[in-house]
Amino acid sequence: MIKELILNKNYLSYWLRQLRKEMELIGPMKDFNGDFVFRGVEQIHEISLECPASMPSPKEFVFPQVEEMFEYTGEEINDLRNNKKRVIFGIRSCDISAINLIERFFSGRSESTRIKRFEDSCYMSRRRNSLFISIGCNNPEPTCFCNSLGTGPFLESGFDIQLTDLGDRYFVQTGSYSGERVIASFKHLFENVQKQDYDDQYEIMLSAQTKFEKRINLEEIREKILAGDVSDSFWEWVATRCFECGGCVYECPVCTCFNIVERPETEDKGKRVRIWDTCLFKGFTRMAGGNIPAEKKIMRIKRWWFHKLLYYPEQFKKFGCVGCGRCTITCPGRIDIATISQKIKKWRPE
Amino acid sequence: MKRDKNIYLPLRAKIKEALNIGNDVKLFKVIPPHPPFSKGGKGGFIDYLPGQFFMVGKWGSGEVPISIASTKGLHKHIELVIRRVGTVTTALNKLKAGDTLWLRGPYGNGFNTDSAKKRDVVFIAGGIGIVPLRSLINFILLNKKQYGKIFLLYGAKNPFEILFEEDIKVWNKKGVEVILAVDVEDKRWKGNVGLVTEHIGKIKVDFKKACAYVCGPEIMIKNTMKELSLKGMPDKQIATTLEARMKCGTGKCGQCYHGAEYICTNGSVYTYEEIKKRKVYGP
Repeated sequence: MIKELILNKNYLSYWLRQLRKEMELIGPMKDFNGDFVFRGVEQIHEISLECPASMPSPKEFVFPQVEEMFEYTGEEINDLRNNKKRVIFGIRSCDISAINLIERFFSGRSESTRIKRFEDSCYMSRRRNSLFISIGCNNPEPTCFCNSLGTGPFLESGFDIQLTDLGDRYFVQTGSYSGERVIASFKHLFENVQKQDYDDQYEIMLSAQTKFEKRINLEEIREKILAGDVSDSFWEWVATRCFECGGCVYECPVCTCFNIVERPETEDKGKRVRIWDTCLFKGFTRMAGGNIPAEKKIMRIKRWWFHKLLYYPEQFKKFGCVGCGRCTITCPGRIDIATISQKIKKWRPE
Repeated sequence: MKRDKNIYLPLRAKIKEALNIGNDVKLFKVIPPHPPFSKGGKGGFIDYLPGQFFMVGKWGSGEVPISIASTKGLHKHIELVIRRVGTVTTALNKLKAGDTLWLRGPYGNGFNTDSAKKRDVVFIAGGIGIVPLRSLINFILLNKKQYGKIFLLYGAKNPFEILFEEDIKVWNKKGVEVILAVDVEDKRWKGNVGLVTEHIGKIKVDFKKACAYVCGPEIMIKNTMKELSLKGMPDKQIATTLEARMKCGTGKCGQCYHGAEYICTNGSVYTYEEIKKRKVYGP
């Protein structure tokens, strides 16, 4: 049940300061070189909500680039699962949608009972201890296309707490039990919603919708691929433009593949860690003995695209893309989701 | 005790015996570890099925998926056959009796033995592919009454690479019709010569009604399944177990992703029908 309240902007920093006493506060901040990054907040006034999609995506707080899983000393194992309490403030709707999607993947709760599913304990431990306060996007960037996928700019459900900026105040919605709880302890900061607030919120939602520059229909693309209308010569062309830098995968809030490696200190002491990995790298599928199933670049390119456009919908009834536009910003070969979708749309089978 | 267990923590297992059974191939007999979260504390050893695998690791080297060669109910220990190929298997191969292994699992769906009931069963192995089939052959021999005639066609590179000769003798005694073949001619070898696919015709079985379990190198699997299909065996009666690079074994890391399948959890055992339908070998 979604509850709605109003928060005066003047009270925001007090509220965040109080929340920080209970848990680590993470927010978007302008880096010294102008990038927007999510990190631990020392000075509340340094939080910058005027930011575009942050680089890297806040998935690193639930699925970090390098995660220590456990350490071993001889025959002893010490579980290093991270269960630090965190509140992540200022995250955008697309990233909330992405985290909800990869939570379905990592939690192993699946519609299919044919297969034994596992719950990824490292991910779920972080997820259960994180609270997300998201903010709707009044001014989407030119690279954004979340409205085409229903993953933004404002969400109807799936968030802990969602804020909408109404100028001098925030329209606050709580969508989960943990979200309700952190508001309940600071009831005196919040007011009830008046008719004017609803009107303003509706107006802002409508105006945000008009600001999107991209219209992308992934369903159309999916059907075209399934019908066999996109031949290998198209993917061959995509492959020639791919630098195999892995940028799209590392920035993508939905990509989840990883590698597990050892960090030995002495012969019988060390750590086992997992690190992000990329299916676009040739060595990703290399087996002992040197056999590489996805040897050609085109195979790896198709693998990545088909995972997002065909297999995600098959498994989760959702695309493996939330329209955050990070790949558009990152890709040096201009073969990001938005561009390629447009190209596929125009592609005529020869 | 923690609320939920961390799926990435391995269990400690002691090696009871380590035997050299071939060129660079070692058989480890491992004392089955107790699962720490099993009901009633000490009760219950790790349970496993033929065709499943363990993630086997050694500190400092990493983990690799290794199929199980033993059969529950017949072997006291978990038996793992490891051939020295890459860095981890090289490290594992140096282990000896008394050393410690770290196990996670078992993972994978295992062979479906129900579909083979009341049918003649054909096993076709190529090289190291005999290892998961050994587990299944012994399992089926334990419940022999439920199945029809049993055949084994086993091909190896040369006579020295034929593994489990003792087992083969026992199987022969128990009524398994065994056909052995080596790839290239050898003076000391008087049996069949040539790839396994050339000898499928020697199996005296009604291919339309029998079912087959195929395991070996990828190219051998592909050709053998095609050959069986041509002989009239329905696709859903042909099963194989695929291999891929795996890091987690639990369907998360994505390294074994082929087509829409995570081979470690959706497989690793597939029927020919599923491979065709799901495009497991796909992009």
